[in-house]
Amino acid sequence: MTIPTATARMAMLTAMTTDPHLILHQLFSPAFPVGAFAWSHGLETAIQDGHVSGGESAEDWLRTALEFGAGWSDAVLCAQAATGGDLDELEALAAALSPSSERRAETLEQGAAFARAVHGVWGAEIPETAYPVAVGATFKALGLPVRDGLRLYLQSFAANLTSAAVRLVPLGQTEGQRITLALMPLCAELADKAMAAELDDIGGFAPMLDIQSQRHETLYSRVFRS
Amino acid sequence: MTAKRRDGRSVIGDLAMSGSSKLLFPRVASSALEAVYLNSSGGVTGGDAFDLTAEALPGASLRMTTQAGERIYRAAPGAPGRVDTKLSAGDGAQLIWLPQETILFDGAALDRRLTFDLAPDARLLASEVLLFGREAMGETVQSLFLRDRIDLRIGGELVFADRLRLDGDASEVLSRFNVANGALAMASVLCAAPEVAARLDALRDALPETAGATALSDDLIFLRLLAPNGFALRRSLIPLLKDLAGSDLPRPWML
Repeated sequence: MTIPTATARMAMLTAMTTDPHLILHQLFSPAFPVGAFAWSHGLETAIQDGHVSGGESAEDWLRTALEFGAGWSDAVLCAQAATGGDLDELEALAAALSPSSERRAETLEQGAAFARAVHGVWGAEIPETAYPVAVGATFKALGLPVRDGLRLYLQSFAANLTSAAVRLVPLGQTEGQRITLALMPLCAELADKAMAAELDDIGGFAPMLDIQSQRHETLYSRVFRS
Repeated sequence: MTAKRRDGRSVIGDLAMSGSSKLLFPRVASSALEAVYLNSSGGVTGGDAFDLTAEALPGASLRMTTQAGERIYRAAPGAPGRVDTKLSAGDGAQLIWLPQETILFDGAALDRRLTFDLAPDARLLASEVLLFGREAMGETVQSLFLRDRIDLRIGGELVFADRLRLDGDASEVLSRFNVANGALAMASVLCAAPEVAARLDALRDALPETAGATALSDDLIFLRLLAPNGFALRRSLIPLLKDLAGSDLPRPWML
């Protein structure tokens, strides 16, 4: 038996899987090896400080992160990378936008792991760069539907952080799922807006989240890397 | 304008001014050149455009501040005031950019861009403070258009970017627990210098609970600070800036 080359394997897999929505689900499944479980985006600080202490406050924190924090800016970066934006410029900007060293590591390490996994499975050359840019470049390389991809990107961002809250607050599993459901309309709205946005529309206002991620570096005991 | 080094002191190199933008050069005891920016029109409103370009040439030391807080007045819809500031520092130069507070009035519309271009061994200390409304007069900012961008390049490479964007009822957004928890004053501070990260622990010890600092590389510290009002913010910020500057601050920043 011969071992297929990456190109041959890609052709084979593409022939086997034609439904782009199934590929999107694979990319954003918790089993896809980006190591999302290791990062809390500063939420761990908010929980230790008592800012987030239950389902309602966890949901509010996530709304802020999506609407006023990295959620929106990542969606725009991802959409730009998926629709032919200048990858060098997007990579530099995406890394530079992080308000703390841990948030920078969070986006760069997840992006690099994502790019390696996509390369290993589909053979596509994806830059090992900030997560939203690596994801956007993958949408383009694999011809995936961008609007649906952005919705899933935002939902997985929220769901990963919800599961961090489930572990740390702690919350019940069902409460975690209720939060994920409650955030769906916001994820969809932000994805739609990001499709029409320009690079200069990036930005937000979430100083508490910036400060929480900066203070995470000095927490006495930590479960998460950000 | 440019600052150049001559006989161990920093002096004015080139200088050109137009419109209501003025630069004053008070006599100071230090060997740095101190430049005070003055907007003689008294503030920024819709449709205004202000440009400032300054450079500390190799080896020079330039300290810049403003004569007063910049007032961003109510603007007619659709025409934000535009402020574009480009600052650079050459080999071995030092740049200190400590403008006084930017005061956003109800109805303000501001589109601002601040860029720093540093040579790899240049030093920078920069602070920007936003005040949302004139708290002393009980004013809240119920309508705002804010685009406030900071880019920092070292050796031509983008190493930090801040993109503040806040529209609509700012006082409602600021009051949210996880946005600003009611703080009406915010400072953002950048300090770039070789091995500056070694000073992070000492800096953190001096921070109030509503502030955070991080080393984005060995040579770059970024700090965000929230406070209930402008006075409380100055009380926290001034000792931090003084420590980072390693010298007295320009006069408006002395308490």
